[in-house]
Amino acid sequence: MIFWISAALLTVGATLLVLLPLTRRVKAPVSDNQYDVEVYRDQLRELDADEQRGLIDSVSGEQARAEIGRRLLKSAKAAQADATIVRPQKSATREWLTLATVLAIPLISWGIYTKLGSPDLPAQPLAERLAKPADQSTPAELIARAEAHLMLNPDDGQGWEVLAPIYLRLGRPADAVTAYQNAIRLNGDSAARQLGLGEAMAAAANGKITPEAEAVFRHALELDPKDMRPQFYIIDGWMQQGRLAEARDLIRKLLVEAPADVPWRDQAQAALTRLDQEIAGDAPDVSDVEKTGPDASQVEAAAGMSGQDRAEMIEGMVASLAEKLKQSPDDIEGWERLVRSYVVLNRPNDAIEALDRAKKVLSADKAAKLDAVAEDLGLAVELEKD
Amino acid sequence: MTRKQKRLSVIGGGLLVLGVAAALVLFALQQKIAFFRMPSDIQTSDMQSESRFRLGGLVEKGTVIRGEGTKVSFSVTDHVKSVPVTYDGILPDLFREDQGVVIEGRFLPGGAFVADSVLAKHDENYMPKEVADSLKAKGVWQGESKQ
Amino acid sequence: MTVELGHFALVLALALSIVQAVLPVVGARRNDDRMMAVAVPAAFTVFALIALSFAALTAAYVLSDFSVQNVWENSHSQKPLLYKFTGVWGNHEGSMLLWVLILSFFTALVAFFGNNLPPALKANVLGVQAWIGSAFLLFIVATSNPFARINPAPIEGQDLNPILQDIGLAVHPPMLYLGYVGFSVCFSFAVAALIDGRIDAAWARWVRPWTLTAWLFLTGGIAMGSYWAYYELGWGGWWFWDPVENASFMPWLAGTALLHSALVMEKRSALKIWTILLAIMTFSLSLLGTFLVRSGVLTSVHTFATDPGRGLFILAILVLFIGGSLALFAWRSQTLAPGGLFQPISREGALVFNNLFLTTAAATVLIGTLYPLLLESLTGEKISVGAPFFNLTFGPLMIPLLAAVPFGPLLAWKRGDILAVAQRLMTAFFVALIVVAIMLYRTSAPGVLAAFGIGLAVWLMLGALTDLALKAGIGKAPVNVLVQRVVGLPRSVFGTALAHFGLGVTLLGIVATSTFATENVLVMKPGDTIDAGGYTLRFDRIDPVKSSNFTEDQGQFTILDSAGQEVTDLMSAKRFFPVRKMQTTEAGIRTFMFSQLYVSLGDPVKDGVVVRVWWKPLVTLIWLGALVMMAGGGMSLLDRRLRIGAPARARTEKARATA
Repeated sequence: MIFWISAALLTVGATLLVLLPLTRRVKAPVSDNQYDVEVYRDQLRELDADEQRGLIDSVSGEQARAEIGRRLLKSAKAAQADATIVRPQKSATREWLTLATVLAIPLISWGIYTKLGSPDLPAQPLAERLAKPADQSTPAELIARAEAHLMLNPDDGQGWEVLAPIYLRLGRPADAVTAYQNAIRLNGDSAARQLGLGEAMAAAANGKITPEAEAVFRHALELDPKDMRPQFYIIDGWMQQGRLAEARDLIRKLLVEAPADVPWRDQAQAALTRLDQEIAGDAPDVSDVEKTGPDASQVEAAAGMSGQDRAEMIEGMVASLAEKLKQSPDDIEGWERLVRSYVVLNRPNDAIEALDRAKKVLSADKAAKLDAVAEDLGLAVELEKD
Repeated sequence: MTRKQKRLSVIGGGLLVLGVAAALVLFALQQKIAFFRMPSDIQTSDMQSESRFRLGGLVEKGTVIRGEGTKVSFSVTDHVKSVPVTYDGILPDLFREDQGVVIEGRFLPGGAFVADSVLAKHDENYMPKEVADSLKAKGVWQGESKQ
Repeated sequence: MTVELGHFALVLALALSIVQAVLPVVGARRNDDRMMAVAVPAAFTVFALIALSFAALTAAYVLSDFSVQNVWENSHSQKPLLYKFTGVWGNHEGSMLLWVLILSFFTALVAFFGNNLPPALKANVLGVQAWIGSAFLLFIVATSNPFARINPAPIEGQDLNPILQDIGLAVHPPMLYLGYVGFSVCFSFAVAALIDGRIDAAWARWVRPWTLTAWLFLTGGIAMGSYWAYYELGWGGWWFWDPVENASFMPWLAGTALLHSALVMEKRSALKIWTILLAIMTFSLSLLGTFLVRSGVLTSVHTFATDPGRGLFILAILVLFIGGSLALFAWRSQTLAPGGLFQPISREGALVFNNLFLTTAAATVLIGTLYPLLLESLTGEKISVGAPFFNLTFGPLMIPLLAAVPFGPLLAWKRGDILAVAQRLMTAFFVALIVVAIMLYRTSAPGVLAAFGIGLAVWLMLGALTDLALKAGIGKAPVNVLVQRVVGLPRSVFGTALAHFGLGVTLLGIVATSTFATENVLVMKPGDTIDAGGYTLRFDRIDPVKSSNFTEDQGQFTILDSAGQEVTDLMSAKRFFPVRKMQTTEAGIRTFMFSQLYVSLGDPVKDGVVVRVWWKPLVTLIWLGALVMMAGGGMSLLDRRLRIGAPARARTEKARATA
């Protein structure tokens, strides 16, 4: 409301300022040529001054004076003639132009503004937004607050520690890597932090266990040899690289060393069997872990994880599925699974993007099939908007 | 001099200056310009020519090799063909793998390129992909089309 | 609310501009004083509204209001405060807003100082200014609205391009725009005169202060931009013949020509058609520059965004204004009466000579800038036209022009005696010749051209001093009278001499730096040294430093003199901006007298770091010369001759108002 009042005041004020001269009579207007006369008089004065100073000699001074004099005379004559010019006090043109102005200023300004402006949207200075009580803030605002805090106090290890897993969950693995690194630098080494760092690095590489990540997992293992999770990540990495025999040997070793009643024994055993088959050449696609869903060791590992860790593992798997589809795009089931996963993970944008990408590479009938799936998932509407 | 002669002398002088300038421009346009090429539109004749060239494209991933001192070699690619480039000097700040780059220099007979200057393209619209996606979802930012 | 009020003020300014574009011009045609009088309050109000709008955008930047898309795209909450301010115009939308702000500022200035202008001329000038203003406001509102909002607002901005986070950015674009846009006033005067059909010596007198003002700012803007590129880009170059630099240089060349031809027109009522044409051309080149930069037709360091829609819009504005004004020119110019006569050898002749060379030079720059575009659209062949082209074409044109400069102010109007003038310049000539001889003796073969270049610079500087000395009447009066006479000289005489002297200073800097600069690129380990310009540079270490929005590796150096004593230290850094994932180089520069040692840090290599070391002799003279030129322009502007009185009635009315 205040906005509309201010806008109205501005409009009225501006219109009045412009209209004012239209209502006021100009007293005894001076001919335009009279202004020229004034200039030539000035020039004559300067000429005299220059001549006195000796800047020009008297001959050219005289010539110049004659020349300026001629111009002056001409203008003075014209000024006299101008006295006969009719200067209308009343004019129909002026009247309808005045009316047009009064109408045009508000019409143009309000017309354009209501089309372009967002009058109801308040200004949102950052300081104000961050000063809101925590329970009214969006998660993004809370993170921003934490980031602002850390920007000013980059040595607050605790802050980095809190932020790191949040980053990872929000799908900002690169920031998570930095945060974990800072937490390790400031709070010291720990198995949990190293594990987090490794997970972040893997997520940053789209689920690929890079050699660097593997080194981090190994370090985590050194710090806490009893933790199974780094082992599984390492195994996962080996399988990605096709080092199946090594993976099998490690699983076998873990099974031998573990007590008989660990919860993951059965799954690990299954994974082992499958690996054995693959190595023997029975399985058609050795490196494709995703084809039959997550391998046993992963499922089993997931069982032993907290909810958060499981979510991360799923994210990692989805990422590697996406990667695989880049290599072999003509896989409708794969795409279907990917789109579905994104929807389940509440990442609709990625789902739409995956759908787009899939439709570009798939044949028409397969694309139609995928569209049907997407519609089932409720994606179609959003697709239209895109 | 009469008025006409004066005017002629002024016009003649003006034409003379313009003529000289035009000649200089024409000469310079033949001798002093550099042709712009992407790796895939390089002709065999280009490689034999003495002209200067500007080569545009992306710095191919994994090809940047730093040699002795300030020497460096890399390939410029447009995802169709790539051209090996050698350069001796400081690389610009924005020089990165997979980043757009324009280099100026000459071809060696073998088709390799010797650069005497390297300009990385400024990409002021650089936007992290995640942000771009969420913006597109909000309908705020159209951005470039998805490839 | 402030943001939306700013938005509304912008739209309201557009509406008022349209009124200002119509009423006064119609009024002038119908001799309607009331309608003409609308122009003045309209000009003030439009300026106030745009200023309000600009303030609102600035506030949004300072307060990090990321609900404004423009702020979100170009700012960041952790950015230093100064760069939040400068970030306002560090992007396309904001810089266009600054453009119209400055345009409306000049319009308001004309309205304010325009009491000595004939009412019809003033109304037309303000009206034409409003045509330009309306077109650009429409452009902003339609294609580049800085007040677009995002809802819900993102929580963090995307930062300003680190290259643009520099104090140079704070001053360079506004200054450049003051120059660019300042020439709009000359354009409006020209178009107004054509509409009115009254083009005479008085017109030149009225337009000259505006030409001077615009020229002054453009000179400053170009010099500042050049210095900015020099120390910020870290390449050690100060002029690249980059299309955007050319875009600002062409109006400067044309504007300098205009400055000189308007002088002839004022004094002799000659060159009228030419001067009007130059005024139109100068601003057209400014518009062309805006088009080239803003449309993204040319790839350049300065291109903010590539958007064909915007390009087409600006192209339409360009065609409309340039085409329209030239058509008006073609239609009206035949009605002009011929002006005063003069001999080829005369002050007028010298100024024609000046104009001929300046405009030809501007034309070669124009060809070099547009030829690649033309060739590409015709044949698809992409070429780049760089320094070699301009050195070969622009350079030779400058030599006769510069050599002739000292003659100009000494020649008499109408018919001059070149021999007498040459005699008076004898001292300057011989000193310059001696300098050339010394240079030739001391330097080896590649220095021959440089020797003559430096001789030319000395000739220019001494020529300017000679002019001053002769006008003070040296040799005719005792010293104490002489001093008095120098002080009593009209300021415009000082202005001319200063500007020409500054030109010589700049030339000296250019020649010395281009010829005698040394460059070394090498790998340095801590403790390594390199000699440059009589000093020794020692690399000490690399310090990693973290700052609020970037991290940097600072290369620490020590400068030793020839005796091995430590003189000072020097730091050059590589900065990394995590938000944009961009890297920049901060050059380390130390000034010794007028020369500079310039160190730029490269990438780390296996046994040390790449370092680029330049010795730039007399390099600061390039920009100091520009400052001297600006001082000359300012001096001329202060000359009371340019302040003309208004006819009696206006004057008495003013007196009544103040009483």
